[in-house]
Amino acid sequence: MADVKSARVKRLRKQKIDGQSLKRLVEAGLAWLRTNQQIVNSLNVFPVPDGDTGTNMLLTLTSAYDEIKDSGEKHFGKMAALVAKGALMGARGNSGVILSQLWRGFARGVQDRETLDVETLVKAFADARDTAYKGVVRPVEGTILTVARGIASGTESGLSSANDAIDVLETAVSSADESVRQTPELLPILKQAGVVDSGGKGLFFILEGMLRHVYGEALDKPLVSVQSLSAMNFENAMEGVEEGQDYEVVVDFFPQGELDLQKFYRRLEEMGTSIQVGEGDGMYRMHIHVPLEKRYEPIDYVMGLGTITKVAMENLLAQMDDIQKNTAQRPIKFSAVEAGQIAVVVVSPGSGLSRIFASLGAAAVVAGGQTMNPSTQDILNAFENLPTDKVIILPNNKNIIMAANQAKDVTVKKVEVVPSRTVPQGLAAMLSLQPDGELASVSEKMTKALSAVQTGEITTAVRNVEIDGVNVKQGQVIALLDGKLVVSANSIEEGCLRLLEKAEAGEKEIITLFYGQDMPHTEANRMADLVRAKFPNQEVEVQEGGQPHYQFIISIE
Amino acid sequence: MGEETTSLGGIHISPNAVATIAYHAVRETYGVVGLAPKNLADGIVRSITREPSRGVTVQYNGEDIDIEVHIIVEYGTRINSVARSVANTVRFHVEKALGLRVNKIDVHVAGLRVSSMD
Repeated sequence: MADVKSARVKRLRKQKIDGQSLKRLVEAGLAWLRTNQQIVNSLNVFPVPDGDTGTNMLLTLTSAYDEIKDSGEKHFGKMAALVAKGALMGARGNSGVILSQLWRGFARGVQDRETLDVETLVKAFADARDTAYKGVVRPVEGTILTVARGIASGTESGLSSANDAIDVLETAVSSADESVRQTPELLPILKQAGVVDSGGKGLFFILEGMLRHVYGEALDKPLVSVQSLSAMNFENAMEGVEEGQDYEVVVDFFPQGELDLQKFYRRLEEMGTSIQVGEGDGMYRMHIHVPLEKRYEPIDYVMGLGTITKVAMENLLAQMDDIQKNTAQRPIKFSAVEAGQIAVVVVSPGSGLSRIFASLGAAAVVAGGQTMNPSTQDILNAFENLPTDKVIILPNNKNIIMAANQAKDVTVKKVEVVPSRTVPQGLAAMLSLQPDGELASVSEKMTKALSAVQTGEITTAVRNVEIDGVNVKQGQVIALLDGKLVVSANSIEEGCLRLLEKAEAGEKEIITLFYGQDMPHTEANRMADLVRAKFPNQEVEVQEGGQPHYQFIISIE
Repeated sequence: MGEETTSLGGIHISPNAVATIAYHAVRETYGVVGLAPKNLADGIVRSITREPSRGVTVQYNGEDIDIEVHIIVEYGTRINSVARSVANTVRFHVEKALGLRVNKIDVHVAGLRVSSMD
């Protein structure tokens, strides 16, 4: 394998690099960027509606490649000019515009060259940097610009030791890699988010793809990468246990010397699935699912690589059983939406309520409520990736309606906000949902349904206050009816019953109690019995709400 | 818009404050090499007062904020992509800083700067 590779590289080193070579390189850069597009997207920290960096760069480079893919141009400089033109025509978003400027500068640096040589390539990288920097008054460091600068200065200082353009490309890739790693030091917002700059990383992938083409390496499979320990998410890995892969093995270790990740992954892939590798402060954590008979293999293998500090092994099937028994922890199943259908996004203050919303047909849930208002961005995130452009948002809290309206304004999707001020209102609205209906009329029906229900809330007063003629002392139980303080009481029972009286529950049909996270199930049932005794003609139901702070949310209809 | 009454008194955010935020956001947007005064008189006034919001006009329109920016773009970039980025960036920064909704942003490309010829 190594011989094949070096033979290929040796052969390429002897060849002239002309317009057709550039075409193949651009194609490789594009393929590799496409393979890694989601990685780049996941690094986005600026929640601008302008879209994802990886996608924007990919579309820009695709447009560049479309310009040259049928061209038989042999002249390197002329081909580069075509690439630059295509990139310019298709430039999308901030990162795309910068990428097109980089190509423009690069093309200018090589314009009269029939073939590429070391000096020209180094100069072209410098021209790319200069042109890109001209495009902004106040360059922000820690971005794709910084990476372009790193590439230019890296290749400049490596000029004397470079024998051919492949050497320069190798230096460019390693300089890009290094600059990308530096970006969090230059841009605080990246550091806070614990990521590197997405545009810079995209540029790195383009160059790396070109180098992988030179080496003859595959471009369609994402390279394994190491994540930070905190980012490792075993819960997701748990969701699907593959047949025969019954054991989860997690090994913490300090490798002796540098860990050859590619080799490491390749070896692990032979043993099992769901491979994840994390790193923090020099310690690596390896996670893998393996069949019963192979459960000690990963440990033996890692032992040969360095010092093991911890090993954890678990029988996944047993774990799955546990999870299935414990329904409260079972992942919530949301309704799948299809393109063209209406997706409902609800804000829910508790896991139990989320489950109820999901069972009524909600497509996504945003966690939030009285004490933790979700941001516009949280709401946007919940529906931006749904495969439909018709969305209804149920804020379920009067303080969240504004954020929901903002989400409506910044998205390109068609969004209606049904202004539910409480959870019971939201649930009542869900009953009027017709996913295949027309957005405006469905949202109107749902809005009408809001008034069909009254909402009671039971909580504990955090300070002394007098509102609406009700005197409350700190620590007392208070009851709110449709957001208005109506009762202060010395016990939850008293609060609930007096609240229901105020709501004239005797005239209504159904009373549903959603009990909060700090309320034991048995207590909630006892409460329901008291309510049934007092309102014998009404149907009384108890549901787990899981909301914080409110012992009960009560729906009266 | 820009007004809020709390139990302690009122909060008023002037259009100028909003303009300053927008101005800095514009200057950080790739492709923008400068801002242009809306007209000659505006340019003179702003250069005398040294107001850091040249080229940005903010108007409160009932419940909404309307922003107008006049930019100079680097020759050779895709102008409508740059203008779109400007609108997105300004909206993001203003809404983040103030929590107020921006109704509309008009981006006027007042000119191009040619730094070098292709």
